Amino acid sequence: MELVVTRNFGNAESWTLESYRNAGGYQSLQRVLRDMTPEEVSDLVKASGLSGRGGAFFPTGLKWEFVRKDPKTPRYVVVNGDESEPGTYVNRHSLELDPHLMLEGMIIAAFACNAERGYVYIRGEYGLAHERAQTAIQDAYDAGYLGSDIMGKSGFNFDVVFRRGAGAYIVGEETALFNSLEGKRGNPRFKPPFPTNVGVWGLPTAINNVETLSAAPAIIENGADWFQGLGRGDTAGTKMYCLSGHVTKPGVHELPMGITARELIYDHGDGVAGGRQLKGFKPGGASSAPLTPAELDAPLEPKSMGELGTIMGTGGVVVFDDTTDMVDVAYRDALFFEEESCGFCIPCREGTPNLVQICERILHGQGTMDDLDLLDELGTSMMASFCGLGQFAHQPVRGNARRFRADFEAHIRGEPVPPTTS
Amino acid sequence: MAIHSGATKRQTLAPEDKPKLDELRAKLDDLKSDPGSTLEALYAAQAVFSYVPPEAVTLIAEELGLPESEVFGVLTFYTMFHRKPSAKYVLRVCRDLSCHLSGAPTVLKALNEALGTRVGETTDDGLFETESVSCLGLCDLQPALLVNLEQHGPMSPDDAMKLLEELRGRST
Repeated sequence: MELVVTRNFGNAESWTLESYRNAGGYQSLQRVLRDMTPEEVSDLVKASGLSGRGGAFFPTGLKWEFVRKDPKTPRYVVVNGDESEPGTYVNRHSLELDPHLMLEGMIIAAFACNAERGYVYIRGEYGLAHERAQTAIQDAYDAGYLGSDIMGKSGFNFDVVFRRGAGAYIVGEETALFNSLEGKRGNPRFKPPFPTNVGVWGLPTAINNVETLSAAPAIIENGADWFQGLGRGDTAGTKMYCLSGHVTKPGVHELPMGITARELIYDHGDGVAGGRQLKGFKPGGASSAPLTPAELDAPLEPKSMGELGTIMGTGGVVVFDDTTDMVDVAYRDALFFEEESCGFCIPCREGTPNLVQICERILHGQGTMDDLDLLDELGTSMMASFCGLGQFAHQPVRGNARRFRADFEAHIRGEPVPPTTS
Repeated sequence: MAIHSGATKRQTLAPEDKPKLDELRAKLDDLKSDPGSTLEALYAAQAVFSYVPPEAVTLIAEELGLPESEVFGVLTFYTMFHRKPSAKYVLRVCRDLSCHLSGAPTVLKALNEALGTRVGETTDDGLFETESVSCLGLCDLQPALLVNLEQHGPMSPDDAMKLLEELRGRST
């Protein structure tokens, strides 16, 4: 099948400007600057159906239009490379192997938004990505793809500053990322106003995931219908899915949006490691509630995952074999969110340690059946959290306790955990 | 919310390290014109001292024109900043789901046993310290760890022992 965002990954020294140019790099930007208006660019991206690959799936072209229509200047384009969702590593691959593709997409976005300034923000732990993104930015300046009168287009100026995080999952939340960019604690801000009107430094900001921006050059090159047609069913384009956990071959796979978990795990990941049976899987990172083998044929896209009571999330699929204790999985998820809660609002700050305690109790045989109801009650309170972290933190634990209830009840009764529940 | 080891003690600078504050001051000069560069300033301090001492917080606040409390607030928010001297090689072992399922706990245990330390403690020679950290985005290398920012994985307890040897060799 045709690749959109990983097409250069196999090229020699794919991260260099020379290699990127040899693969046709920056020709989409040239076409945009020569032949198109900002309106035409955002309309084309709207028609392509491209939506935010970080997990929110907001229509990208619409976001760019909102930013362009806000009269405040300077406008900003920000790359969200703070990927920190457990089980997710697709942005790392893009930044390490093809930083120029992301950068070309960013400059196209800047043109569509009429933006003059940008930040590339990458999580603190991605050392190699820092080096390659910084080199790419410098090389793009030297080649005239950044700076003033870009590629000879009079009046199109765009400056990019590189920034790195320093260890904080919450900064992946867009408004928390703005605070971090501004040199502050990474607490989220109240929405509305939304970033398209009040973003970094209070100015209109298009904040896009690395993968989203990396899709833009191919859309310019091949058109909206082409991209739309790459997805299955009603979905558009491709998605970088990634596999980890009890799978034979962990790795990144760019596939049509809406592929099934069965195809991903068995055809592309060579099945469950060690030839064991599948007990369950998470469709999209720690925040997503796990599913059972009976749900292997559901398309991995936002709508059908929503109908199953989980989320598409980041597309980071984590596989569990039949030796997995799903209460331990719930406990790990709870520990993660407890660690990463920023402590700014009470439902999340107090809710996440309570989740840990309940899971711990059940895991160590000290839980009661009432604890399962308590999880639901606690989750309802946590819906009052200020941002998505607290609103989602309880959902993988509760979804897990619902689908893999046999594991939870076995712990409570002091019996061995059953290998499968379906 | 994360409460990290050493959070309550303020580890001040040794007298012989005080002159290094001038080195930091020079580095901060470049950052003054870049609004919002507090994190970079803290990274600069950590590069000079191996951690961010209270004296550096005061200096950053003065140089960047910020309240000291704000700089300290930023320092304590992000887990990659150290508030006590850190080892030459910080071994950050992932503890989240994918790495946990594929054996990260045995790797961390092997490292701590071999070094005779607990998580967050530095070895007497100042070479090593282990951290148990949130997902590193290295799940294809599960179980994975970082040596400072260098990626390693998949790791077994044996691989971890070989890695320690290699790092000891590097530092001599």
